[in-house]
Amino acid sequence: MSSSTEPVTATPRGALRRPAEPARNVDVAGLVDAEGGLLDRAVFTDERIYRQEMRRIFAPSWLFLAHADQFHRPGDFFTTWMGEDPVIVTMDKGRRIRAYLNSCRHRGARVCRADFGTTRNFTCTYHGWSFNLEGDLVSVPNREGYPETFDTAQWGLVEVPHVATYHGLIFGTWNPSPVPLRASLGDMAWYMDAMLDHDAHGTVVVGGVHKWVLEGNWKLAAEQFATDWYHVNMSHASALTVLANGGKPKQEIVHRTGRQYVDPNGHGAGFPVHPRNRFDAQAVHDWTDYAALRERLGDARVEGPLTNGHATVFPNFSYLPVNGSIRIWHPKGPDRMEVWAWTIVDASMPEEVREAQRLYNLRTFGPSGVFEQDDGENWSEVQAIARGFVTNSVALNYQMGMGSEREDGRYPGKTSELYSDAAGRSFYARWRQLMNTPAWHEEDPA
Amino acid sequence: MSAGIRVAAVADIPEGEGLKIDRSLTGTDDHIALLHDTDGSIWALDDTCLHGDASLSEGWVEDGCVECPLHTSKFCLKDGKVQGLPATEDQRPHRVEVRDGEVYLFPGEAP
Repeated sequence: MSSSTEPVTATPRGALRRPAEPARNVDVAGLVDAEGGLLDRAVFTDERIYRQEMRRIFAPSWLFLAHADQFHRPGDFFTTWMGEDPVIVTMDKGRRIRAYLNSCRHRGARVCRADFGTTRNFTCTYHGWSFNLEGDLVSVPNREGYPETFDTAQWGLVEVPHVATYHGLIFGTWNPSPVPLRASLGDMAWYMDAMLDHDAHGTVVVGGVHKWVLEGNWKLAAEQFATDWYHVNMSHASALTVLANGGKPKQEIVHRTGRQYVDPNGHGAGFPVHPRNRFDAQAVHDWTDYAALRERLGDARVEGPLTNGHATVFPNFSYLPVNGSIRIWHPKGPDRMEVWAWTIVDASMPEEVREAQRLYNLRTFGPSGVFEQDDGENWSEVQAIARGFVTNSVALNYQMGMGSEREDGRYPGKTSELYSDAAGRSFYARWRQLMNTPAWHEEDPA
Repeated sequence: MSAGIRVAAVADIPEGEGLKIDRSLTGTDDHIALLHDTDGSIWALDDTCLHGDASLSEGWVEDGCVECPLHTSKFCLKDGKVQGLPATEDQRPHRVEVRDGEVYLFPGEAP
Protein backbone atom coordinates (compact mmCIF):
# COMPACT_ATOMS: atom_id res chain seq x y z
CA MET A 1 0.00 0.00 0.00
CA SER A 2 1.59 3.24 -1.09
CA SER A 3 1.06 6.52 0.64
CA SER A 4 2.11 10.12 0.48
CA THR A 5 5.00 10.90 2.74
CA GLU A 6 4.47 14.64 2.64
CA PRO A 7 3.62 16.41 5.90
CA VAL A 8 -0.02 16.83 6.62
CA THR A 9 -0.48 20.55 6.96
CA ALA A 10 -0.93 23.06 4.19
CA THR A 11 2.12 25.14 5.07
CA PRO A 12 4.88 26.47 2.83
CA ARG A 13 7.38 23.75 1.91
CA GLY A 14 9.58 25.55 -0.62
CA ALA A 15 11.90 23.02 -2.24
CA LEU A 16 11.57 20.51 0.59
CA ARG A 17 10.55 17.00 -0.54
CA ARG A 18 10.63 13.97 1.71
CA PRO A 19 12.04 10.88 0.03
CA ALA A 20 9.48 8.20 -0.77
CA GLU A 21 9.17 5.25 1.56
CA PRO A 22 7.45 2.46 -0.36
CA ALA A 23 5.20 0.10 1.60
CA ARG A 24 5.50 2.17 4.72
CA ASN A 25 2.23 0.89 6.12
CA VAL A 26 1.84 -2.53 7.70
CA ASP A 27 -1.15 -4.58 6.57
CA VAL A 28 -2.71 -5.45 9.94
CA ALA A 29 -5.51 -7.65 8.55
CA GLY A 30 -3.68 -10.70 9.85
CA LEU A 31 -3.19 -9.33 13.35
CA VAL A 32 -6.84 -8.99 14.37
CA ASP A 33 -9.33 -11.85 14.00
CA ALA A 34 -12.39 -10.04 15.31
CA GLU A 35 -14.73 -12.69 13.98
CA GLY A 36 -12.81 -15.55 15.60
CA GLY A 37 -11.95 -13.57 18.74
CA LEU A 38 -8.15 -13.68 18.45
CA LEU A 39 -5.54 -10.95 18.71
CA ASP A 40 -1.84 -10.92 17.81
CA ARG A 41 0.30 -9.36 20.56
CA ALA A 42 2.33 -7.47 17.96
CA VAL A 43 -0.38 -4.77 18.15
CA PHE A 44 0.99 -3.93 21.62
CA THR A 45 4.72 -4.04 20.89
CA ASP A 46 5.58 -3.23 17.27
CA GLU A 47 7.12 0.21 16.73
CA ARG A 48 6.06 0.40 13.07
CA ILE A 49 2.47 -0.39 14.00
CA TYR A 50 2.62 2.24 16.72
CA ARG A 51 3.81 4.87 14.25
CA GLN A 52 1.05 3.85 11.86
CA GLU A 53 -1.47 4.36 14.69
CA MET A 54 -0.31 7.98 14.90
CA ARG A 55 -1.09 8.41 11.19
CA ARG A 56 -4.24 6.34 10.83
CA ILE A 57 -5.89 6.16 14.26
CA PHE A 58 -5.00 9.43 15.98
CA ALA A 59 -4.72 11.79 12.97
CA PRO A 60 -8.19 10.99 11.58
CA SER A 61 -10.21 10.34 14.79
CA TRP A 62 -12.06 12.71 17.10
CA LEU A 63 -9.89 12.91 20.23
CA PHE A 64 -10.86 14.17 23.68
CA LEU A 65 -9.17 17.49 24.51
CA ALA A 66 -10.63 18.98 27.69
CA HIS A 67 -13.78 19.80 29.63
CA ALA A 68 -15.66 23.03 28.84
CA ASP A 69 -15.52 24.03 32.53
CA GLN A 70 -11.76 24.60 32.13
CA PHE A 71 -12.43 27.71 30.00
CA HIS A 72 -14.35 30.68 31.37
CA ARG A 73 -12.67 33.78 29.95
CA PRO A 74 -10.55 34.63 26.91
CA GLY A 75 -6.98 33.45 27.37
CA ASP A 76 -7.81 30.48 29.62
CA PHE A 77 -5.78 27.61 28.21
CA PHE A 78 -5.00 23.93 28.79
CA THR A 79 -2.19 22.01 27.10
CA THR A 80 -2.64 18.36 26.14
CA TRP A 81 -1.81 15.84 23.42
CA MET A 82 -3.50 14.46 20.34
CA GLY A 83 -1.67 11.18 19.93
CA GLU A 84 1.91 12.38 20.35
CA ASP A 85 1.19 15.87 18.98
CA PRO A 86 1.20 18.60 21.64
CA VAL A 87 -1.77 20.97 21.46
CA ILE A 88 -2.99 24.10 23.23
CA VAL A 89 -6.70 24.38 23.86
CA THR A 90 -7.82 27.94 24.58
CA MET A 91 -10.73 30.39 24.54
CA ASP A 92 -10.10 33.16 22.01
CA LYS A 93 -11.18 36.80 22.34
CA GLY A 94 -14.50 35.92 20.70
CA ARG A 95 -14.97 33.25 23.43
CA ARG A 96 -14.64 30.41 20.92
CA ILE A 97 -12.78 27.27 21.99
CA ARG A 98 -9.88 26.66 19.60
CA ALA A 99 -6.93 24.29 19.54
CA TYR A 100 -3.46 24.77 18.05
CA LEU A 101 -0.40 22.65 17.53
CA ASN A 102 1.89 23.63 20.40
CA SER A 103 5.02 24.06 18.29
CA CYS A 104 6.65 27.30 17.18
CA ARG A 105 6.76 27.73 13.41
CA HIS A 106 10.32 29.06 13.71
CA ARG A 107 12.43 26.34 15.38
CA GLY A 108 9.70 24.06 16.67
CA ALA A 109 9.77 24.46 20.44
CA ARG A 110 6.51 24.54 22.36
CA VAL A 111 5.04 28.06 22.55
CA CYS A 112 3.24 27.21 25.80
CA ARG A 113 5.13 25.29 28.48
CA ALA A 114 2.52 25.48 31.25
CA ASP A 115 -0.10 22.80 32.00
CA PHE A 116 -2.92 25.36 32.24
CA GLY A 117 -3.49 29.02 33.05
CA THR A 118 -4.58 32.34 31.59
CA THR A 119 -2.56 34.33 29.06
CA ARG A 120 -2.69 37.07 26.47
CA ASN A 121 -0.29 35.45 24.03
CA PHE A 122 1.69 32.28 23.51
CA THR A 123 5.36 33.20 23.34
CA CYS A 124 8.07 30.75 22.40
CA THR A 125 10.74 30.66 25.09
CA TYR A 126 13.45 29.95 22.50
CA HIS A 127 13.59 33.15 20.40
CA GLY A 128 10.39 34.92 21.36
CA TRP A 129 8.02 34.53 18.45
CA SER A 130 4.61 35.39 19.90
CA PHE A 131 1.18 34.21 18.83
CA ASN A 132 -2.16 35.66 19.96
CA LEU A 133 -5.23 33.73 21.10
CA GLU A 134 -6.33 33.50 17.47
CA GLY A 135 -3.06 31.78 16.56
CA ASP A 136 -1.69 34.74 14.56
CA LEU A 137 2.02 35.49 14.68
CA VAL A 138 2.01 38.95 16.29
CA SER A 139 5.60 39.56 17.25
CA VAL A 140 8.95 38.58 15.77
CA PRO A 141 12.02 39.97 17.53
CA ASN A 142 14.50 41.48 15.00
CA ARG A 143 11.69 41.52 12.43
CA GLU A 144 13.79 43.80 10.21
CA GLY A 145 16.29 40.96 9.70
CA TYR A 146 13.84 38.99 7.56
CA PRO A 147 13.46 39.43 3.79
CA GLU A 148 10.60 41.39 2.28
CA THR A 149 8.94 38.14 1.27
CA PHE A 150 8.54 37.19 4.93
CA ASP A 151 4.82 37.44 5.66
CA THR A 152 3.78 36.86 9.30
CA ALA A 153 0.31 35.83 8.07
CA GLN A 154 1.94 32.68 6.67
CA TRP A 155 3.52 31.71 9.99
CA GLY A 156 0.70 31.49 12.50
CA LEU A 157 0.14 28.47 14.74
CA VAL A 158 -1.18 25.38 12.96
CA GLU A 159 -4.82 25.11 14.01
CA VAL A 160 -6.76 21.93 14.73
CA PRO A 161 -9.35 22.27 11.96
CA HIS A 162 -12.35 20.93 13.88
CA VAL A 163 -13.21 21.31 17.56
CA ALA A 164 -16.63 20.27 18.83
CA THR A 165 -18.28 19.81 22.22
CA TYR A 166 -20.67 17.14 23.41
CA HIS A 167 -22.34 17.86 26.78
CA GLY A 168 -19.25 19.64 28.08
CA LEU A 169 -16.67 17.26 26.59
CA ILE A 170 -14.46 19.01 24.03
CA PHE A 171 -13.10 16.92 21.18
CA GLY A 172 -10.86 17.84 18.26
CA THR A 173 -9.71 16.19 15.07
CA TRP A 174 -7.00 16.88 12.50
CA ASN A 175 -9.31 15.44 9.85
CA PRO A 176 -10.23 18.37 7.55
CA SER A 177 -13.57 16.81 6.61
CA PRO A 178 -14.60 14.54 9.45
CA VAL A 179 -17.86 12.82 10.16
CA PRO A 180 -19.43 15.27 12.66
CA LEU A 181 -18.66 14.45 16.31
CA ARG A 182 -22.28 13.68 17.20
CA ALA A 183 -22.61 11.33 14.23
CA SER A 184 -19.37 9.55 15.06
CA LEU A 185 -20.65 8.92 18.60
CA GLY A 186 -23.83 7.35 17.21
CA ASP A 187 -25.81 5.38 19.79
CA MET A 188 -22.90 5.71 22.22
CA ALA A 189 -24.27 9.19 23.02
CA TRP A 190 -27.31 7.59 24.69
CA TYR A 191 -25.01 5.79 27.12
CA MET A 192 -22.81 8.87 27.65
CA ASP A 193 -25.88 10.95 28.51
CA ALA A 194 -26.45 8.67 31.51
CA MET A 195 -23.36 10.34 32.99
CA LEU A 196 -23.37 13.78 31.36
CA ASP A 197 -27.01 14.81 31.19
CA HIS A 198 -28.52 14.35 34.66
CA ASP A 199 -30.11 17.80 34.49
CA ALA A 200 -30.05 20.98 32.43
CA HIS A 201 -26.99 22.36 34.27
CA GLY A 202 -24.48 19.80 32.98
CA THR A 203 -21.18 18.89 34.64
CA VAL A 204 -18.18 20.72 36.08
CA VAL A 205 -14.63 19.68 36.89
CA VAL A 206 -13.60 19.18 40.52
CA GLY A 207 -9.98 19.95 41.30
CA GLY A 208 -7.20 19.55 38.77
CA VAL A 209 -6.11 16.84 36.37
CA HIS A 210 -4.31 13.80 37.79
CA LYS A 211 -1.52 12.56 35.52
CA TRP A 212 0.55 9.41 35.85
CA VAL A 213 2.72 7.17 33.70
CA LEU A 214 2.09 3.46 33.17
CA GLU A 215 4.16 0.85 31.41
CA GLY A 216 1.65 -0.58 28.97
CA ASN A 217 0.24 -0.01 25.50
CA TRP A 218 -2.60 2.53 25.42
CA LYS A 219 -5.00 -0.03 23.92
CA LEU A 220 -4.78 -2.27 26.99
CA ALA A 221 -6.53 0.42 29.02
CA ALA A 222 -8.89 1.56 26.27
CA GLU A 223 -10.12 -1.96 25.47
CA GLN A 224 -10.62 -2.84 29.15
CA PHE A 225 -12.83 0.19 29.71
CA ALA A 226 -14.79 -0.74 26.58
CA THR A 227 -15.36 -4.39 27.28
CA ASP A 228 -14.14 -5.78 30.58
CA TRP A 229 -16.33 -6.33 33.65
CA TYR A 230 -14.92 -9.88 33.68
CA HIS A 231 -11.82 -8.88 35.67
CA VAL A 232 -13.68 -7.24 38.53
CA ASN A 233 -14.12 -10.10 41.01
CA MET A 234 -10.65 -11.49 40.40
CA SER A 235 -8.46 -8.38 40.03
CA HIS A 236 -10.34 -6.26 42.53
CA ALA A 237 -11.00 -9.00 45.11
CA SER A 238 -9.01 -7.26 47.82
CA ALA A 239 -10.51 -3.85 47.09
CA LEU A 240 -14.06 -5.26 47.17
CA THR A 241 -13.26 -6.97 50.46
CA VAL A 242 -11.97 -3.71 51.93
CA LEU A 243 -15.10 -1.88 50.82
CA ALA A 244 -17.16 -4.60 52.56
CA ASN A 245 -15.32 -3.68 55.79
CA GLY A 246 -13.37 -6.92 55.75
CA GLY A 247 -16.44 -9.11 55.43
CA LYS A 248 -17.79 -10.82 52.35
CA PRO A 249 -18.92 -8.50 49.57
CA LYS A 250 -22.67 -8.56 49.05
CA GLN A 251 -23.97 -11.24 46.71
CA GLU A 252 -25.54 -8.64 44.44
CA ILE A 253 -22.09 -7.10 43.92
CA VAL A 254 -20.28 -10.38 43.28
CA HIS A 255 -22.97 -11.95 41.08
CA ARG A 256 -23.95 -9.21 38.73
CA THR A 257 -25.80 -9.43 35.47
CA GLY A 258 -26.02 -6.67 32.96
CA ARG A 259 -25.37 -5.61 29.41
CA GLN A 260 -22.46 -4.45 27.30
CA TYR A 261 -23.00 -1.98 24.48
CA VAL A 262 -21.11 -2.83 21.29
CA ASP A 263 -20.63 0.13 18.95
CA PRO A 264 -19.75 -0.36 15.28
CA ASN A 265 -17.27 2.57 15.54
CA GLY A 266 -15.30 0.84 18.28
CA HIS A 267 -16.88 2.49 21.33
CA GLY A 268 -18.08 0.26 24.15
CA ALA A 269 -19.82 0.39 27.54
CA GLY A 270 -20.64 -2.27 30.11
CA PHE A 271 -23.00 -1.91 33.05
CA PRO A 272 -24.75 -4.08 35.63
CA VAL A 273 -28.54 -3.93 35.41
CA HIS A 274 -30.54 -3.80 38.63
CA PRO A 275 -33.68 -1.87 39.66
CA ARG A 276 -31.88 -0.41 42.68
CA ASN A 277 -28.52 0.51 41.11
CA ARG A 278 -27.10 3.40 43.11
CA PHE A 279 -24.12 5.70 43.42
CA ASP A 280 -21.51 4.25 45.77
CA ALA A 281 -20.52 7.41 47.65
CA GLN A 282 -23.16 7.77 50.37
CA ALA A 283 -23.46 11.55 50.09
CA VAL A 284 -23.93 11.30 46.32
CA HIS A 285 -26.53 8.56 46.76
CA ASP A 286 -28.43 10.56 49.38
CA TRP A 287 -28.43 13.68 47.19
CA THR A 288 -29.45 11.93 43.97
CA ASP A 289 -33.10 12.21 42.95
CA TYR A 290 -33.48 8.88 41.17
CA ALA A 291 -37.16 9.57 40.39
CA ALA A 292 -36.22 12.77 38.54
CA LEU A 293 -33.51 10.87 36.68
CA ARG A 294 -36.03 8.20 35.67
CA GLU A 295 -38.22 10.99 34.34
CA ARG A 296 -35.38 12.56 32.35
CA LEU A 297 -33.34 9.56 31.24
CA GLY A 298 -35.82 6.66 31.43
CA ASP A 299 -35.80 3.48 33.53
CA ALA A 300 -33.39 1.59 31.28
CA ARG A 301 -30.60 4.09 31.87
CA VAL A 302 -31.23 4.59 35.59
CA GLU A 303 -31.20 0.80 36.13
CA GLY A 304 -28.16 0.42 33.84
CA PRO A 305 -25.44 2.82 32.70
CA LEU A 306 -26.31 5.66 35.14
CA THR A 307 -24.13 4.33 37.95
CA ASN A 308 -21.77 1.35 37.98
CA GLY A 309 -20.16 0.64 34.67
CA HIS A 310 -17.31 1.40 32.34
CA ALA A 311 -16.98 2.92 28.88
CA THR A 312 -14.57 3.90 26.13
CA VAL A 313 -15.10 6.36 23.30
CA PHE A 314 -12.81 5.15 20.52
CA PRO A 315 -9.91 5.45 20.45
CA ASN A 316 -8.60 6.59 23.86
CA PHE A 317 -11.21 8.37 26.00
CA SER A 318 -12.80 6.43 28.86
CA TYR A 319 -15.04 7.10 31.82
CA LEU A 320 -16.63 5.64 34.95
CA PRO A 321 -20.07 7.05 35.78
CA VAL A 322 -20.20 5.90 39.41
CA ASN A 323 -17.36 8.13 40.56
CA GLY A 324 -17.25 10.76 37.85
CA SER A 325 -13.85 9.77 36.49
CA ILE A 326 -13.10 10.74 32.91
CA ARG A 327 -9.68 9.94 31.51
CA ILE A 328 -7.60 9.83 28.39
CA TRP A 329 -4.89 7.27 27.67
CA HIS A 330 -2.13 9.25 25.97
CA PRO A 331 0.13 7.00 23.85
CA LYS A 332 3.83 7.36 24.69
CA GLY A 333 5.44 4.70 22.52
CA PRO A 334 4.19 1.14 22.03
CA ASP A 335 4.86 0.15 25.63
CA ARG A 336 3.96 3.25 27.64
CA MET A 337 0.99 5.51 28.30
CA GLU A 338 0.21 8.59 30.32
CA VAL A 339 -3.10 8.52 32.13
CA TRP A 340 -4.76 11.93 32.53
CA ALA A 341 -7.84 11.81 34.74
CA TRP A 342 -10.44 14.42 35.65
CA THR A 343 -13.26 14.14 38.19
CA ILE A 344 -16.51 15.63 36.96
CA VAL A 345 -19.71 16.14 38.94
CA ASP A 346 -23.13 17.58 38.28
CA ALA A 347 -22.95 21.38 38.36
CA SER A 348 -26.07 21.31 40.52
CA MET A 349 -24.35 19.32 43.29
CA PRO A 350 -23.75 21.26 46.53
CA GLU A 351 -20.18 21.62 47.73
CA GLU A 352 -20.26 18.81 50.30
CA VAL A 353 -21.60 16.34 47.74
CA ARG A 354 -18.90 17.31 45.23
CA GLU A 355 -16.28 16.82 47.93
CA ALA A 356 -17.68 13.39 48.80
CA GLN A 357 -17.51 12.32 45.16
CA ARG A 358 -13.99 13.72 44.79
CA LEU A 359 -12.78 11.73 47.80
CA TYR A 360 -14.59 8.57 46.71
CA ASN A 361 -13.01 8.81 43.28
CA LEU A 362 -9.59 9.48 44.78
CA ARG A 363 -9.81 6.39 47.01
CA THR A 364 -11.05 4.07 44.27
CA PHE A 365 -9.79 5.36 40.91
CA GLY A 366 -7.31 8.11 41.76
CA PRO A 367 -3.64 7.50 40.87
CA SER A 368 -3.26 5.44 44.06
CA GLY A 369 -6.88 4.30 44.23
CA VAL A 370 -7.48 0.76 45.38
CA PHE A 371 -9.09 -0.25 42.06
CA GLU A 372 -6.86 1.83 39.79
CA GLN A 373 -3.75 0.18 41.24
CA ASP A 374 -5.09 -3.26 40.33
CA ASP A 375 -5.81 -2.24 36.75
CA GLY A 376 -2.46 -0.58 36.16
CA GLU A 377 -0.67 -3.63 37.53
CA ASN A 378 -2.50 -5.88 35.05
CA TRP A 379 -1.71 -3.72 32.02
CA SER A 380 1.94 -3.40 32.95
CA GLU A 381 2.11 -7.17 33.55
CA VAL A 382 0.72 -7.93 30.10
CA GLN A 383 3.11 -5.45 28.50
CA ALA A 384 6.20 -6.48 30.45
CA ILE A 385 6.37 -9.96 28.95
CA ALA A 386 4.94 -9.27 25.51
CA ARG A 387 8.35 -8.61 23.96
CA GLY A 388 9.43 -12.23 24.42
CA PHE A 389 9.82 -13.77 20.97
CA VAL A 390 7.70 -16.84 21.69
CA THR A 391 5.35 -14.96 24.01
CA ASN A 392 4.70 -12.37 21.34
CA SER A 393 3.71 -15.05 18.81
CA VAL A 394 1.06 -16.61 21.07
CA ALA A 395 -2.39 -15.24 20.26
CA LEU A 396 -4.72 -13.77 22.90
CA ASN A 397 -8.32 -14.88 23.45
CA TYR A 398 -11.28 -12.50 22.99
CA GLN A 399 -13.98 -15.15 22.49
CA MET A 400 -16.32 -14.58 25.42
CA GLY A 401 -19.87 -13.82 24.34
CA MET A 402 -19.28 -14.81 20.71
CA GLY A 403 -22.54 -14.40 18.81
CA SER A 404 -24.33 -12.88 21.81
CA GLU A 405 -24.68 -9.39 20.33
CA ARG A 406 -28.31 -8.50 19.65
CA GLU A 407 -30.79 -5.64 19.51
CA ASP A 408 -33.19 -6.18 22.39
CA GLY A 409 -35.35 -3.07 22.10
CA ARG A 410 -34.44 -1.84 25.59
CA TYR A 411 -30.99 -0.48 24.76
CA PRO A 412 -30.00 1.42 21.59
CA GLY A 413 -27.79 -0.45 19.15
CA LYS A 414 -26.45 -3.91 19.83
CA THR A 415 -25.69 -5.19 23.31
CA SER A 416 -24.04 -8.32 24.62
CA GLU A 417 -23.78 -9.80 28.12
CA LEU A 418 -22.09 -7.88 30.96
CA TYR A 419 -19.35 -10.53 30.92
CA SER A 420 -18.29 -10.48 27.28
CA ASP A 421 -15.45 -9.55 24.92
CA ALA A 422 -17.90 -8.29 22.30
CA ALA A 423 -17.03 -4.60 22.59
CA GLY A 424 -13.34 -5.56 22.61
CA ARG A 425 -13.74 -7.45 19.35
CA SER A 426 -15.54 -4.41 17.92
CA PHE A 427 -12.82 -2.07 19.25
CA TYR A 428 -10.12 -4.06 17.43
CA ALA A 429 -12.27 -4.45 14.29
CA ARG A 430 -12.52 -0.67 14.12
CA TRP A 431 -8.78 -0.37 14.80
CA ARG A 432 -8.04 -2.86 11.99
CA GLN A 433 -10.30 -0.99 9.59
CA LEU A 434 -8.68 2.40 10.26
CA MET A 435 -5.15 0.96 10.22
CA ASN A 436 -5.74 -0.52 6.76
CA THR A 437 -7.42 2.57 5.30
CA PRO A 438 -5.44 5.52 3.93
CA ALA A 439 -6.20 8.52 6.11
CA TRP A 440 -7.12 12.03 4.95
CA HIS A 441 -3.46 13.06 4.69
CA GLU A 442 -2.54 10.20 2.36
CA GLU A 443 -3.02 9.84 -1.35
CA ASP A 444 -5.75 7.41 -2.21
CA PRO A 445 -3.92 4.55 -3.98
CA ALA A 446 -6.99 4.08 -6.18
CA MET B 1 2.14 72.35 33.72
CA SER B 2 -1.44 71.47 32.91
CA ALA B 3 -4.34 70.58 35.18
CA GLY B 4 -4.22 67.05 33.90
CA ILE B 5 -6.64 65.13 31.73
CA ARG B 6 -9.36 63.05 33.35
CA VAL B 7 -8.91 59.77 31.48
CA ALA B 8 -10.65 57.08 33.52
CA ALA B 9 -12.18 56.05 36.81
CA VAL B 10 -10.05 53.87 39.05
CA ALA B 11 -12.89 51.34 38.90
CA ASP B 12 -12.35 51.05 35.13
CA ILE B 13 -8.99 49.32 35.67
CA PRO B 14 -8.97 46.05 37.63
CA GLU B 15 -6.02 45.68 40.00
CA GLY B 16 -3.18 43.89 38.28
CA GLU B 17 -4.26 45.11 34.85
CA GLY B 18 -3.89 48.09 32.57
CA LEU B 19 -5.85 50.41 30.32
CA LYS B 20 -4.60 51.95 27.06
CA ILE B 21 -5.23 55.69 26.63
CA ASP B 22 -5.07 56.63 22.97
CA ARG B 23 -2.50 59.17 21.88
CA SER B 24 -5.28 61.23 20.24
CA LEU B 25 -6.32 61.98 23.82
CA THR B 26 -2.88 62.30 25.40
CA GLY B 27 -1.21 64.30 22.63
CA THR B 28 1.97 62.25 23.02
CA ASP B 29 3.91 60.32 20.40
CA ASP B 30 2.86 57.00 21.88
CA HIS B 31 -0.28 55.79 23.58
CA ILE B 32 -0.08 55.75 27.37
CA ALA B 33 -0.75 52.69 29.51
CA LEU B 34 -2.47 53.28 32.87
CA LEU B 35 -1.34 50.49 35.16
CA HIS B 36 -3.13 49.50 38.37
CA ASP B 37 -0.69 47.92 40.82
CA THR B 38 -1.70 45.26 43.31
CA ASP B 39 -1.26 47.76 46.19
CA GLY B 40 -3.99 49.92 44.65
CA SER B 41 -1.73 52.64 43.20
CA ILE B 42 -2.03 53.82 39.58
CA TRP B 43 0.92 54.53 37.28
CA ALA B 44 1.44 55.53 33.66
CA LEU B 45 4.09 54.54 31.11
CA ASP B 46 4.43 54.81 27.36
CA ASP B 47 2.29 51.93 26.10
CA THR B 48 4.35 50.39 23.33
CA CYS B 49 7.19 48.16 24.48
CA LEU B 50 10.28 49.34 22.63
CA HIS B 51 11.48 45.75 22.27
CA GLY B 52 8.70 43.82 20.63
CA ASP B 53 5.89 46.22 19.69
CA ALA B 54 3.62 44.99 22.50
CA SER B 55 0.97 46.96 24.39
CA LEU B 56 1.97 47.18 28.05
CA SER B 57 -1.67 47.91 28.89
CA GLU B 58 -2.22 44.20 28.20
CA GLY B 59 0.62 43.24 30.52
CA TRP B 60 0.63 41.76 34.01
CA VAL B 61 0.91 44.36 36.79
CA GLU B 62 2.27 43.22 40.13
CA ASP B 63 4.55 44.40 42.96
CA GLY B 64 5.68 47.67 41.40
CA CYS B 65 6.31 46.30 37.90
CA VAL B 66 4.52 45.63 34.66
CA GLU B 67 5.49 42.50 32.75
CA CYS B 68 5.28 42.74 28.97
CA PRO B 69 2.61 40.34 27.66
CA LEU B 70 4.81 39.24 24.76
CA HIS B 71 8.34 38.61 25.97
CA THR B 72 8.11 38.97 29.76
CA SER B 73 10.51 41.90 30.22
CA LYS B 74 9.55 43.85 33.34
CA PHE B 75 9.46 47.63 33.75
CA CYS B 76 9.35 49.63 37.00
CA LEU B 77 5.99 51.37 37.32
CA LYS B 78 7.52 54.45 38.99
CA ASP B 79 10.27 55.34 36.54
CA GLY B 80 9.82 52.98 33.57
CA LYS B 81 13.26 51.45 33.96
CA VAL B 82 13.67 48.06 32.34
CA GLN B 83 14.35 45.30 34.88
CA GLY B 84 15.68 42.61 32.58
CA LEU B 85 16.15 41.15 29.10
CA PRO B 86 15.09 40.77 26.36
CA ALA B 87 14.06 44.49 26.37
CA THR B 88 16.94 46.92 26.78
CA GLU B 89 15.29 50.36 26.68
CA ASP B 90 13.31 52.10 29.43
CA GLN B 91 9.68 53.17 29.00
CA ARG B 92 8.90 56.86 29.47
CA PRO B 93 6.89 57.48 32.67
CA HIS B 94 4.09 60.04 33.07
CA ARG B 95 2.62 61.66 36.17
CA VAL B 96 -0.78 60.47 37.44
CA GLU B 97 -3.07 61.82 40.13
CA VAL B 98 -6.09 60.11 41.63
CA ARG B 99 -8.82 62.42 43.02
CA ASP B 100 -12.19 61.13 44.19
CA GLY B 101 -11.79 57.87 42.34
CA GLU B 102 -10.93 59.61 39.06
CA VAL B 103 -7.60 59.24 37.30
CA TYR B 104 -5.94 62.43 35.98
CA LEU B 105 -3.04 62.07 33.57
CA PHE B 106 -0.26 64.63 33.01
CA PRO B 107 1.28 63.54 29.68
CA GLY B 108 4.98 64.28 29.44
CA GLU B 109 5.40 65.26 33.10
CA ALA B 110 7.77 63.19 35.16
CA PRO B 111 6.05 61.47 38.10
